[in-house]
Amino acid sequence: MAREECKALLDGFNKTTACYHHLVLTVGGSADSQNLRQELQKTRQKAQELAVSTCARLTAVLRDRGLAADERVEFERLWVAFSGCLDLLEADMRRALELGAAFPLHAPRRPLVRTGVAGASSGVAARALSTRSLRLEAEGDFDVADLRELEREVLQVGEMIDNMEMKVNVPRWTVQARQAAGAELLSTVNAGPSSVVSVEERGGGCDPRKALAAILFGAVLLAAVALAVCVAKLS
Amino acid sequence: MAAGPAPPPGRPRAHMPHLTKMERVVVSMQDPDQGVKMRSQRLLVTVIPHAVTGSDVVQWLTQKFCISEEARRSPSHPSPEALHLGAVLVQHGYIYPLRDPRSLVLRPDETPYRFQTPYFWTSTLWPAAELDYAIYLAKKNIRKQGTLADYEKECYDRLHTKISHAWDLVLMQAREQLRAAKQRRKGDRLVIACQEQTYWLVNRPPPGAPSVLEQGPGRGFCAASRVHMTKSADFYKQEIEYCRRALGRTRVKSSVCLEAYLSFCGQRGPHDPLVSGCLPSNPWISDNDAYWVMNAPTVAAPTKLRVERWAFSFRELLEDPVGRAHFMDFLGKEFSGENLSFWEACEELRYGAQAQVPTLVDAVYQQFLAPGAARWVNIDSRTMERTLEGLRQPHRYVLDDAQLHIYMLMKKDSYPRFLKSDMYKGLLAEAGIPLETKKRVFPFSWRPRHSSPSPALLPTAVEPTAAGGPGGGDGVA
Repeated sequence: MAREECKALLDGFNKTTACYHHLVLTVGGSADSQNLRQELQKTRQKAQELAVSTCARLTAVLRDRGLAADERVEFERLWVAFSGCLDLLEADMRRALELGAAFPLHAPRRPLVRTGVAGASSGVAARALSTRSLRLEAEGDFDVADLRELEREVLQVGEMIDNMEMKVNVPRWTVQARQAAGAELLSTVNAGPSSVVSVEERGGGCDPRKALAAILFGAVLLAAVALAVCVAKLS
Repeated sequence: MAAGPAPPPGRPRAHMPHLTKMERVVVSMQDPDQGVKMRSQRLLVTVIPHAVTGSDVVQWLTQKFCISEEARRSPSHPSPEALHLGAVLVQHGYIYPLRDPRSLVLRPDETPYRFQTPYFWTSTLWPAAELDYAIYLAKKNIRKQGTLADYEKECYDRLHTKISHAWDLVLMQAREQLRAAKQRRKGDRLVIACQEQTYWLVNRPPPGAPSVLEQGPGRGFCAASRVHMTKSADFYKQEIEYCRRALGRTRVKSSVCLEAYLSFCGQRGPHDPLVSGCLPSNPWISDNDAYWVMNAPTVAAPTKLRVERWAFSFRELLEDPVGRAHFMDFLGKEFSGENLSFWEACEELRYGAQAQVPTLVDAVYQQFLAPGAARWVNIDSRTMERTLEGLRQPHRYVLDDAQLHIYMLMKKDSYPRFLKSDMYKGLLAEAGIPLETKKRVFPFSWRPRHSSPSPALLPTAVEPTAAGGPGGGDGVA
């Protein structure tokens, strides 16, 4: 079924774009490294592949004159979502190019900004590439060649967007999104109590809390010792 | 992230320069030897590195920019310059507080701060896109199970109406970004969430907080330059062209420019109704429009201030209809009135209707430029040759050279003589200063103030003389 296929492709593309966005966030920060640049490259190549196939599929369907009206509405909705996602990807790629050029890894004169992010991002890249785990070893000057390629790919994506707009004309105002405002609250994504709690608490008040816990523990321990002594004395 | 309008290729970088300077400061703070001292932040279980205290930041700024000994008192009283600089850095979101993220102020004590990642620097992502904000609010909605701040709820609803067609994309991206974030360890997740929150606090401040990114009207379009990895011949050609144009620009030293500015203000101060009040009275306050009547464009007796203004520059004299009429009289006495008539005819040609251009050019030629014409103007031979050549294909700017020549002639020759003439001195002596209307004792006037008639009503008898009074529009004290 063409609709399911397109939906699946779009979901995959959306996932890869979100992961790419998440990886680009850390470029120039303390987690920046050659490995990160390589993960970025793999992610964006996967994203581009998915984009090309989705684009081909959707264009073929939408240019078909003999499409039923309700099906057309459905496909136009997917088209609008896809082109928005592709815009997001292109903008992120452009920013990655700018940041990568501004924070070259091999030059010691421009230290990276110490942002506090220190962990590896291989999990995110693995999710993007739909593999279980990812182990990459990048050479010392990977980023230089990578930036040139990135520039070329940015232009390619720009061209793809232009071609898309030329081939299929979908006015944005005629498209009704299926999900209403606030729909994200109905399907509770496993937000996780951990993330809710952890964003709230900050470093403030740590030590008093620890002290209170220590006092309570000490009191309980003393009570237990006293009870044991009493029992020993009685018996 | 939705991209803004694509920047035209080759346009030079026109960013807000204060942002580039701030970024340089932030990057120099990162130096492992000479940068700011970093500490670690301890939460219950996790330890997150790279935290700085406010006092460290202020001390580093004081040292780095050699803020003077006299200004610097003691470490517990940091100099106001360093404080201000640090506060500016925090307000623009380059450093964010960890304990109280909503208040972007720099406290010079032990409050911890952290640096913002370059992705969220204002220069990278400016202007902030609506789609991004929608995705951020959706993510926050999911994380906090619907408890957004009031202004955020309003923004959410407004965005939903504005970009409702893209709402599927918004929710899809929000969910996927949250899932992607789960793949990181907890400390990183926290830090990234804080960074994003700070970015949106700076770019979409809550109501009541001053927006640091506001610019005046007419500014704002800063096209980011494209990064060029492979520099082709085209790129270098554009750079050469840009440099050549930059060299050709006229530059004035700020000392000269500022002196001219001061003298302009000193000269015009007494003439400005806002700065030195207007006589007889401010029409907007006293409901008496004598001021406008007296300063109408064509009036028989100009006020003294107006006559004084004619002495400031030739342009002032020509722009005032009364002044121009008197100047024409003066030129008539000197038998050089044709200069001013020619100038006026050229102005009419420049600003007149396109259809009249050929006939007007012909008329001007016959009257002023043809050899043996009735009112022949004295133009030097080179300009005359050029003008006659251009007359073969007349357009509205064909007489520009000749007009400029005559204008400079009048300015250098006739105008100084006019200012020294008896006629002008007589005008100055005749012109009077209007009396100030007596202020009433009571603050309320007995005359009922009537509101101005609705524009829908046609004017009945008297034509309003207020139109075109020079000080009319800005008589608000």
